[in-house]
Amino acid sequence: MDLKPESPVESSGELAELADRIRLRAVRMVAMHGLGYLGQALSSAEILATVYRRVYRPDADRIVISPGHYVIGAFAAAAESGLLDPAALATYGHDGSRLEAIGTERSPSVDLTCGSLGQGLSAAVGFALSDRLRGRADARTVVLVSDGELEEGQVWEAAMFAGHHRLDRLVALVDANNSQVDGPVAEITTIEPVADKWRAFGWHAQDVDGHDTGALAAAVEAALEADRPAVVIARTSTTTGLDCLPDNTDGHFVKLPAELAERAAAELEARLA
Amino acid sequence: MRRPPYPTVLKPYGRALLDLARADDRIVCLSGDLTRQCEVDLFRDELPERFVNAGMSEANMIGIAGALARAGHVPFVHTFGVFATRRPFDQIVNAVAYPNLPVRIVGFMPGVSSPGGPSHQAIEDVALMRALPNLTVIDAADAVEIRQVVAAIVDHPGPVYLRLKRGEIPVIFDEEYQFSMYRAQRLRAGGDALIVANGMMLPAAVVATDVLAAAGIDCGLVHAPVVKPLDAATVVDAAAGVRAVVTAENHTIVGGLGSAVAEALAEAGCGARLRRVGLRDTFAEGALTAHHLFQTYDLTTQSIVDAAWAALGSSDPAPVAPTSPAAVGEYSPV
Repeated sequence: MDLKPESPVESSGELAELADRIRLRAVRMVAMHGLGYLGQALSSAEILATVYRRVYRPDADRIVISPGHYVIGAFAAAAESGLLDPAALATYGHDGSRLEAIGTERSPSVDLTCGSLGQGLSAAVGFALSDRLRGRADARTVVLVSDGELEEGQVWEAAMFAGHHRLDRLVALVDANNSQVDGPVAEITTIEPVADKWRAFGWHAQDVDGHDTGALAAAVEAALEADRPAVVIARTSTTTGLDCLPDNTDGHFVKLPAELAERAAAELEARLA
Repeated sequence: MRRPPYPTVLKPYGRALLDLARADDRIVCLSGDLTRQCEVDLFRDELPERFVNAGMSEANMIGIAGALARAGHVPFVHTFGVFATRRPFDQIVNAVAYPNLPVRIVGFMPGVSSPGGPSHQAIEDVALMRALPNLTVIDAADAVEIRQVVAAIVDHPGPVYLRLKRGEIPVIFDEEYQFSMYRAQRLRAGGDALIVANGMMLPAAVVATDVLAAAGIDCGLVHAPVVKPLDAATVVDAAAGVRAVVTAENHTIVGGLGSAVAEALAEAGCGARLRRVGLRDTFAEGALTAHHLFQTYDLTTQSIVDAAWAALGSSDPAPVAPTSPAAVGEYSPV
């Protein structure tokens, strides 16, 4: 098919609708397997919608999805943005597919994704440094980071380096969904105060409701204006946008049997209708 | 090829990299807070716009280097061998080796050349890097070779780990020497025994070959600076018909040159007895001098002679290796 990037969506309402389309595509991808990284797509849907419409320009910029488990959301967002053939999503997670469930070198439509967590920010720093070395003053590097990854020391090595070198074309979005494998991040390691940590490392930091597309759009606009690397900490949850999910859903790896998948798709289709 | 004691030079690597970088703006130099020690103060002072000091953050430094390579630069990453391989191993796997990117990781101060104790002694760096798909692993022996290695790896398509002695670098080879990424160097032919060495053990291996020859043993010598991919054909060919093979490396005998040679010989069905000179699956210790450590951990000329003698099954006492004292500024094997 002829892939053509969509024109930028302007209103926060349209961004919210795009977020639900990302959710619906993610539900269909996970439904094929009965379980998978749906929670990551649900928590990051508005973040990705905002990134793909308000920050990332495919011809000029680079995008890094640091936690490889989130690549499902990037695939959905890319398919909604004319950057990936939507038909490819049907191969997600299947044997032999390049759309592997945890992102790899074969993952289409992203510049880099890392299955081993905590490494993406360093790569984003490297891309931003490359642009500076080449005098590409307009190029942006956008990186999605998860809050659980902030437990990895490498993230802070990279943050310190970016702050020292004032890599002002670097924009990080932290999906603060308070979810990691063993449970809520807050119960495993206190990472708060997150925004203050980034500020202390020399970053422009904002803390916003990560499901509020208006707040996200305003935050990324300020981030792009900043005279230093900028981070948007987006407060989210792994079940937002799907009321049908049971209360005890494991957000890291959602079980989605056929009947629940049908209800989930119906809920999203009704909202999008 | 010269005989010990060898003259030494300073910063042959740093000068070679700078010479190349002057003419090739793809080259970017990264340092992990060991700039002078890794000879890249020369680069920093002349090409500061392409010099990146990552500070003490090896994981981040490797991640940055991977992205720079992805974007078309040729990053050379510098720190001590221990910090270059132990700390950022997962980052090398995921950000460099798996994507097969042209990052050059240069680890200084190999094996027990550092008297700084186990924290500073890279005794398993070759084994770690050799285990990774796509990596080329080089343990260079002298200033002539180092200069050629740097030129040879600039355009190599995949990642390289280069292991270099720090400080005064001996000049062993003549200017006619030609390093190859793909061929081991058959320095001497011999029908009774074969020594395979590289890096800081090459001078000891050269003398050991002479000592064995004087004792009536026709001993061959192969210099294998490229541990991976090992030129198995040259090693196997040189080992054809010999009764004993000795490897010598400034590294643990697990996973490095000795292991690579063992694999090559066994796969070829070569039945010669093998002895591996190197650290015998042990950490070393801190000391005042590297000389003491080479002696303590059996990384000497005599160690190689004894290993060959034992493998040949001789019941006579082994010949005694001479000591070749080095004046200040010279280098001789222990």
